Amino acid sequence: MTFILQMARRELRASWRRLLFFFACIAIGVGAIVAGRSMLQNAGVAIAAEARSLLTADVQVDSSRPWTPETLAAIDRIALPFAEARAETIESPTMLRPADPAHEGAMMVELKGIDASFPLVGEFKLANGEPVSYSLIQNNGAVVSIALLDRLKLQIGDEVKIGNSTFQIRGTIDKEPGGGSGFRIGPRVFIERTAVEAAGLTGFGSRARRKIFFTTPVDKIAALVRQLRDELKNNLVNVRSYKESQENLSQQFSRAEDYSSLTGLVILVLGGIGISNVTRVFIEQKRKTIAVLKCIGATGKRITVAYLGQVLTMGVAGSGLGLLFGKAVLLLIQHIFADKLPAYMTYGLRAGAALQGLSVGILISLLFSALPLLRIRHIRPNVLLRESAVSKRGAIDVLRWATAGLVMLGLLLVVSWQAGSIRVGLFFLGGLALTAGALYLAATLLIFLVRRTRFLTSFALKQAINSLHRPGNQTRVIIMVVGLGVFLVISIQSLQSNLIREFDLGRSGNIPNMFLIDIQKDQEQGLSELVSQITGERPILVPTIRVRIVAINGKEVDFNEAEMKRDRGRLSREYVVTYRPTLESNEKIIGGEFWDSSSSAEPEISIEESMRGMAGLDVGGEITFDVQGRKLTARVTSIRHVDWRNSRTGFMVLFRPGALESAPQMMVGALNGPTGELERSRFQRAVVDKYPNVSVIDVVDVVRAIERIINNITLAVSFVGAFVLLSGALILIGSLAMTKFQRIYEVAVLKTLGAKRNILLKILLAEYGLIGLVAGVIGSLAAIGLSYMTSRFVFEIPWRFTPVVNLGGVGATIILVTVVGTLATVDVVSRKPLVTLRAQ
Amino acid sequence: MLTILHSLDLTIPDGQFISVIGPSGSGKSTLLGLIAGLDEPTSGEIRIDGQVITTMNEDALAELRGGKIGFVFQSFHLIPSLTALENILVPMEIAGARDARERAQHLMEDVDLVARAHHYPSQLSGGEQQRVAIARAFANGPSILLADEPTGNLDSHNGRHVFELMVEMNRKHNATLVLVTHDHELAALADRRISLRDGRVVNDSDESDAGVEVEGTVEASRS
Repeated sequence: MTFILQMARRELRASWRRLLFFFACIAIGVGAIVAGRSMLQNAGVAIAAEARSLLTADVQVDSSRPWTPETLAAIDRIALPFAEARAETIESPTMLRPADPAHEGAMMVELKGIDASFPLVGEFKLANGEPVSYSLIQNNGAVVSIALLDRLKLQIGDEVKIGNSTFQIRGTIDKEPGGGSGFRIGPRVFIERTAVEAAGLTGFGSRARRKIFFTTPVDKIAALVRQLRDELKNNLVNVRSYKESQENLSQQFSRAEDYSSLTGLVILVLGGIGISNVTRVFIEQKRKTIAVLKCIGATGKRITVAYLGQVLTMGVAGSGLGLLFGKAVLLLIQHIFADKLPAYMTYGLRAGAALQGLSVGILISLLFSALPLLRIRHIRPNVLLRESAVSKRGAIDVLRWATAGLVMLGLLLVVSWQAGSIRVGLFFLGGLALTAGALYLAATLLIFLVRRTRFLTSFALKQAINSLHRPGNQTRVIIMVVGLGVFLVISIQSLQSNLIREFDLGRSGNIPNMFLIDIQKDQEQGLSELVSQITGERPILVPTIRVRIVAINGKEVDFNEAEMKRDRGRLSREYVVTYRPTLESNEKIIGGEFWDSSSSAEPEISIEESMRGMAGLDVGGEITFDVQGRKLTARVTSIRHVDWRNSRTGFMVLFRPGALESAPQMMVGALNGPTGELERSRFQRAVVDKYPNVSVIDVVDVVRAIERIINNITLAVSFVGAFVLLSGALILIGSLAMTKFQRIYEVAVLKTLGAKRNILLKILLAEYGLIGLVAGVIGSLAAIGLSYMTSRFVFEIPWRFTPVVNLGGVGATIILVTVVGTLATVDVVSRKPLVTLRAQ
Repeated sequence: MLTILHSLDLTIPDGQFISVIGPSGSGKSTLLGLIAGLDEPTSGEIRIDGQVITTMNEDALAELRGGKIGFVFQSFHLIPSLTALENILVPMEIAGARDARERAQHLMEDVDLVARAHHYPSQLSGGEQQRVAIARAFANGPSILLADEPTGNLDSHNGRHVFELMVEMNRKHNATLVLVTHDHELAALADRRISLRDGRVVNDSDESDAGVEVEGTVEASRS
């Protein structure tokens, strides 16, 4: 035991520098895992703690229909015995415009009508930090998000028109109770609840959502929710409590945590491949030492254990360093993103996450060094007597194969543990192996081709190409890891530019960039004329009816049933339907038969392909809809494929004319608005001035919001790619350190043969430039493949080559590798040759 | 197939100082390797203290070497990552000796290198390195010392000094010494001299029994 410990300690003392960089990869991987997990756990805890203030109550009942007196009575009858307090709100997207006709502009806002008791939970503060007093919004006052003032160039004290009423802006808010999470179509505006009705925004066709909130003692929440659900189950009313949100959140967070962990694992596995290679070279360099040890009485097993101890120590140190690194990342996140994250969030390392990171780091170090360490057994002590002594190898090395099997199994277990599922673990490992294998093969092929180039006359270049084959050089591994980093970064950048180009509807001609909604039937004529006056184009107005599904094939929707429960999302949502005799150009029938142009008394529908199979639905099946309180059963006669990208409007459910004409309906229209920002704003104003109930959605605003989301995702993925690149650079430095003595010798020989320093420097530059070129080209080619596939088959958008990103990426890789490599080895060039040659 | 060492029958008694001499390629080092169990004979057997070592596995051989055999090589073969003292300590640590550090200190004194104890091999001269190697060879008090051209990499002055030190330490430990050398002058100082040529014993100054017994042939394929 003394021998093993002492030997491990002494060897480590001598060689830790050479192994350092590989274990720095472990540190980065562990850091990524620990930071990701801690971050999400902290966020989860913070958000769960805030779940109550996000809901602004303990229990919420909400509906998209006006409350009927019976429903309202039922809710209060059940809830009031439990409730400590009650509040009621109405929310609706609507148009807002300055009251002064000379003041330009109009925009969509998210209106919220509140009571004096709002919010039951959480703080409601003005931008200046003072609490919002209800008196501010009484008598047609409004408190608005600062963004609104910026967009419409308004000030506190100005008057604005919403619907038929005029309101005075009396205060601004930064943050509202319940937070500003999720996708927003416009800035928030708070007014009195009764004022929403007075402004005429709750009449027929309104998209207002009504909510009633209660606070109640914690132990009564579950009972209240259950009783409300039982009583209201047929009223299209949703009931939820903050406790349930907490549970959902914690599930979502733990899933997110597992996925975040996989990023760290990518780096760890790459680092592991580096470790495996470096251990092999290391043992090769230690051949003599191992032979001496065998000569003086140490068995192969004890020597192996001693070296294993060394690897283990480096693994533990690397993983420990990873914890520090993780903490640093968390501090960095706090520094940069604190204002975008939950206010009460902490940024400490979580004990569980730290423990997981540590164990994964150590396990990966052990798994990847196991096979190369087995080579120790084959080193014969007689190499001390004869240089040429051959290592002894059996025909089939059972131990080696068994170890290889165990390593694979161990790796699968580690990955599955981190991913939270064996299936994901298998996919992850398989995907990684495939990608890494492809990159490795490509690296081999490219190096082979480079080597075959006969027309080279430059001595430096020829010498550099030879250097790629230096024994122990990790050329292929370096290329693979750097290539993988380049691949990730370029893929996401190129996908980003393709996505943003596609979403930039303002630029592409044929797709509408403005939508008019909530048009009443009697406004159809006037509105069409107004629009064609301004834009020179008559809008196509389409009737829409809002319906809900109440039964499928005669079976009532009941979410206690397994099949229905699975389709809860699709079954419980509200559908906007229309009727017309013909198909649009972007629609295609893929099942059943579409009706002819005549109308029929018997209700017939055509459904979009994704609805097929919903609770067993298919051609010939029946759906019963609730159309404004009236039940209507329609037969599915066809199934359509809709090309959503080219749609002016798209509908999941299409009715044959005849059944719905008499139902209460609203019109929607799509059009190409004026081009300039000012003109668009004037156009919106003109529409809303004349028809206050009509809303104009400017797609340009939506595109901006989507762009923000895409940019954030791109940033996150590029971050991961940068980490991988960093580990690639570390492996590069590490393998250079490993083979430095060979370089020193080569340089000494070249110098004695008359090579000057600048030639030697050129050789170094050419060698690293080549590695960078090959890695960059491979990464870039793979990125073209991935961004093409993702664009075409996942996002279904046209793909275009992004020369700046791809070629720029190759250039950046060449520079990165050349700079890192040259810096790591430039001192070799300035050594005195005689010293080196004597030492040999 | 090439026969490196032809059929030979050799017995080395306890405590004898025997030199093996012969030109390059005559099979001297191979003979030494066989005695230490570093090589396996194609046929025949080798016994140390009556124990057959040709049937032992790698681990048993390692243990045997650790306990009974000391080595001195032409190119020293110290472990470059360990200090002089640590190089001497290692065999004792492998054997699990209790008073390793103390004994190592004594050995350092014996080879007169106390001042260089914490130097690494690369910081020592050739002569000093070989003295460390001699101290290491005697670390576990071996009954057999095998020396493969121990002065081959040293100048004549240092070579002589190292040789004398080795012989003196060997006397002190009362071990059997097998010295492989080119140097006829050194060889002449042994109790017994064996000359090898083309893998055959061409001359043996003495014939007696006990100690190490070698008998057999070594063949090796050379590609």
